[in-house]
Amino acid sequence: MLFSIHYKTEYHYGEPVTDNLNALRVRPATTATQRCDEFHVRTDPESRLGRHSDYFGTEVIEFGISKAHSSLTIDVSARVVTSEPAEPPAPDWEALAAPAYLEAAGEYLLASIVEPPNGALDELVALSDLASPLEAVEGLCELIPDRFEYRTGITYVGSTVADLLAAGGGVCQDFVHLALIILRRHGIAARYVSGYLFAAPPDGGHDSVEVETHAWLEALLPDGGERGEPVWVGVDPTNRSRAGEQYVKIGHGRHYDDVPPIKGVYRGGPAELSANVVMTRLDPATSARA
Amino acid sequence: MLARIAHELFWLGRNVSRAELTARMIDGVFQADLQGRPEGPAGVTLSWDAVLAIMGSTATGKRKKNAVKPSRADTVALLSTDPANANSVVASLERAREGAHTVRDVISAEMWEAINAVHLGLADASVGVTGYGGPYSFVSYVKSRTALFWGVASRTMLRDDAYAFLDAGGRFESADMVLRMLRVALPAPGERAAASPRDGQALALLGAVGGLQAFRRAGVAAPTATAVASFLLYTRSYPDSVAASIDAVRGALELADANPRASEPVLRLSRVLADLDFRGRVGRNDDGGLLEVCEIVGRELSLADGDITERYFGGVMSPTHVS
Amino acid sequence: MSATWSATTFDEVFAADGVPREHAQALVAELERLGAESLVAAGALRDAIFMRQGITFDLTSPEGAVADRPFPLDLIPRIIPAAEWRTIKRGLAQRIRALNHFVDDVYHEREIVKAGIVPWTLIASRSHFARAAHGIRPPRGVYTHVAGCDLVRDAQGGWKVLEDNVRTPSGISYMLENRLAMTRLIPSLFAHHRVRPIDQYPALLHAALRSVAPVADGDARIVVWTPGPANSAYFEHTFLARQMGVELVEASDLVVRDDVCYMRTTSGLARVNAIYRRLDDAFIDPLEFRPDSLLGVPGLIRAYRAGTVAIANAVGTGVADDKAVYCYVPAMIRFYLGEEPLLENVTTYLLDDPEQLEAALARIDQLVLKPTGESGGKGVVIGPAADERRLVELAATVRLDPSQWIAQEVVQLSTVPTVASDGTLAARHVDLRPFAIYGDEIRIVPGGLTRVALEPGSLIVNSSRGGGSKDTWVLQDDEESEIEPVAAAAFAPPALPTLRLRSWTGQAQQQQQQLLPPP
Repeated sequence: MLFSIHYKTEYHYGEPVTDNLNALRVRPATTATQRCDEFHVRTDPESRLGRHSDYFGTEVIEFGISKAHSSLTIDVSARVVTSEPAEPPAPDWEALAAPAYLEAAGEYLLASIVEPPNGALDELVALSDLASPLEAVEGLCELIPDRFEYRTGITYVGSTVADLLAAGGGVCQDFVHLALIILRRHGIAARYVSGYLFAAPPDGGHDSVEVETHAWLEALLPDGGERGEPVWVGVDPTNRSRAGEQYVKIGHGRHYDDVPPIKGVYRGGPAELSANVVMTRLDPATSARA
Repeated sequence: MLARIAHELFWLGRNVSRAELTARMIDGVFQADLQGRPEGPAGVTLSWDAVLAIMGSTATGKRKKNAVKPSRADTVALLSTDPANANSVVASLERAREGAHTVRDVISAEMWEAINAVHLGLADASVGVTGYGGPYSFVSYVKSRTALFWGVASRTMLRDDAYAFLDAGGRFESADMVLRMLRVALPAPGERAAASPRDGQALALLGAVGGLQAFRRAGVAAPTATAVASFLLYTRSYPDSVAASIDAVRGALELADANPRASEPVLRLSRVLADLDFRGRVGRNDDGGLLEVCEIVGRELSLADGDITERYFGGVMSPTHVS
Repeated sequence: MSATWSATTFDEVFAADGVPREHAQALVAELERLGAESLVAAGALRDAIFMRQGITFDLTSPEGAVADRPFPLDLIPRIIPAAEWRTIKRGLAQRIRALNHFVDDVYHEREIVKAGIVPWTLIASRSHFARAAHGIRPPRGVYTHVAGCDLVRDAQGGWKVLEDNVRTPSGISYMLENRLAMTRLIPSLFAHHRVRPIDQYPALLHAALRSVAPVADGDARIVVWTPGPANSAYFEHTFLARQMGVELVEASDLVVRDDVCYMRTTSGLARVNAIYRRLDDAFIDPLEFRPDSLLGVPGLIRAYRAGTVAIANAVGTGVADDKAVYCYVPAMIRFYLGEEPLLENVTTYLLDDPEQLEAALARIDQLVLKPTGESGGKGVVIGPAADERRLVELAATVRLDPSQWIAQEVVQLSTVPTVASDGTLAARHVDLRPFAIYGDEIRIVPGGLTRVALEPGSLIVNSSRGGGSKDTWVLQDDEESEIEPVAAAAFAPPALPTLRLRSWTGQAQQQQQQLLPPP
């Protein structure tokens, strides 16, 4: 699919602020199933943009505005082409012990998210202990949305998985964190993915959708690729699906903090934030997909 | 030098000066109150309310409710030893001590000891504002310690920009405080001028700042309130006059500034000084005129304060916010 | 002098038969001559001087009260003969060079991981592994500008490395103040010894910082960055800033604009070229590390990445400070330098490994357990000294995350005579922290901080837990000297011109008559 993405963020400050430094992780990545053809960032007030690739390979755009200003607008636009990923492999659990798997898995096997205490997750771990790693991954994508309600406003950026359990609901970020903990308990390496989801209804008919940035995960499954090497498979526990061509990836990390879309610091009082993402499908939609 | 350190030094100077001159002010007004109470109905009784207002201190809420005018004892206590009043002598000295602690590497050990010992001394029961002698022992003690501080500073501190900022702070506060004293001494607009009580008060204030001998030697006029106010405002050769203090601040900032010709505070202070000189020679120097000058200069000083903060200390810094 | 010397530990002054070792004979003789009373008096004087000068250390009592204590300097110096020092010096330099290679490797090619020597998951799970430092190479490839590797001697007197400290090692100011105090308190002790000087440390540090500062020309502006007066080592921060003649700054004094770091001065913003920082990575930049850190400078990592400011020690160096990584240092020396380690590690077990974990927990009452990411002795449990309940708790804690723990065999630290409160001598356990500076070369100050456990039999030497220190003497060696003494001629003052008084010769004075112009 071919998309244009327009991501606009506005901050309004009660009193003028200074030394406003920001780091953006908003550029669609280039991967085996995705290619970013165009990418522009503009800020108001204007600023000089720096860019580098961080430890996880995500492109970071940095800028700073030192003089006093009362509002900041960040305008991001991109064009990206996506393709459907290959069928995921379905190896046995034993394959997770192979040296090649462990080497590829690296730190994504390590616990990096604070786990709720007292075995609160033991039941979910047991329930997702299915016939194969792939089934466990896909099973969780049903199990979690079954158990938890998708609701905004009850958790926030700094919430823990314990908060999710207590509230009984949360947003995609919370679902993904929960899934990551459980998958790692099973010995399946998994990483947090930040990106954009073209969340149009399946019958098509919508070219342009207003969305939020979305979070899903990639699980490492062994014996996948051409030479039998492990592959990262994207799945979405919020939407009960695999991450197909409607998913545009920005980058990944161990958890949310490794790949936040916008992170910033400034000198001044609190701000009002408004953000919106508009994704537009540019290639003609196929009708009635099987 | 580091803006933060310069800022601390400037305020160290201001706090020490503020403490000293507040103490002197208490002494002077106390004396004036003793003398100025008229036996006859004519004349103005000193309003302690007005003193507090001019000093930027207000009576506590309880007193406001009762709408009783503050007594002499209350006012003296509030201005001298009340730790809750940010402008009291002890509060100013405490801030000075904290500031001196931060810049201990810059000031000499003797300067630190001069300030550090003060609050130990004030705890001594014999140094107080109540009791037989009124505030005398308290005022004496504060005067001697602050004089020691400045004396040691003038002997042991390197004459670099650190000294310039310390000096500028001290002289700035001096100008400000003398202006406040003058507004107490001069009759309020519309007040029926009763010469002798006012004159007594002005003289008492002059005595409090230690300028009686200087005034007489300057030999300008009879010691009326007008003459004394004129003296304290304009006379360059008297170091604690407003004009001399402002000149000293300007001079200190010129030394510390890498480019004084582009310095907003230096320019402003130069203008004020020129204005003062002009008025001193040809201005309307009756009571009303002098009061007006005090107000104008007071406003300019306040603006200069902002200029100084902006130029040397980087302006007021807001806290960091994570977004 | 009465003291019982243990048969199971190595005493550095007295041999097994109670006879002073050769290098310590003059010292022992002088101590006997001085006698207990003089030592007590000197101790009282020392305390008074230290309190007056503010050479103190914050000590938190068990009740939580924090008090300023005079820094506990023991009056008997610890002597290290020149030949022993040579070995230590070379071993340390080798070790620091290897650690430096390791840090660079971790944040770039990861060769040591590819070679299968150190597992990547170990490195990525270290609490001080800084992902923000990935891909950044500091000037000259130097990361460990200041290093303090702690050394101990075992029961046979052999030197071993106990742990590596390359984050923000402290103690240098105490080392310098100790030496100064000793020369004033008991100068007679110096009489029969040629002790190598140590006061060149601040100059060395300054030179190292200058050599890594990115400046096109002219003078580099160097600053010492302190978290502030509330920090327990604040005295050292002010001391070093003053000795090097540089500004001592706090976070609010620094600001980053356009990827350049500045400090706020009365003449506006002044560019900073090199920062000697005394706070951990986690606090230095709220944009890259802990967002709640008020002690940090937003954007500092940007300036660092852009190469406009040098930071010592480099960002991310803490990964080499980790006690689990310590286990691999001998392998690092072989891998990066192709040499055999000159100094050995203390026998250490990586509890990351399930077999080692079980073996260690089975002997938990005989081992020392240390959390890998801490420093200053924090969290260390000495098995033989802990009670049953503590050990059970500890085992449970370790099982929760074994990768964050190591176990070491207990080393019976060597002892040195120490002055007790009544002036008599008693043996106390010591360790040694030499200080190394890596600028254009690795230089190690002769001696270092000897830390002594003041409680009888105690092995805990950290000052934050009640330890004291001793002046450390490395004796002058005729064979070589680490730091070239400056040739005496260079210091000779210029010859004064002779003032020869000529006798006055009269000369016809011309009368001066110049009429002034009329007024």
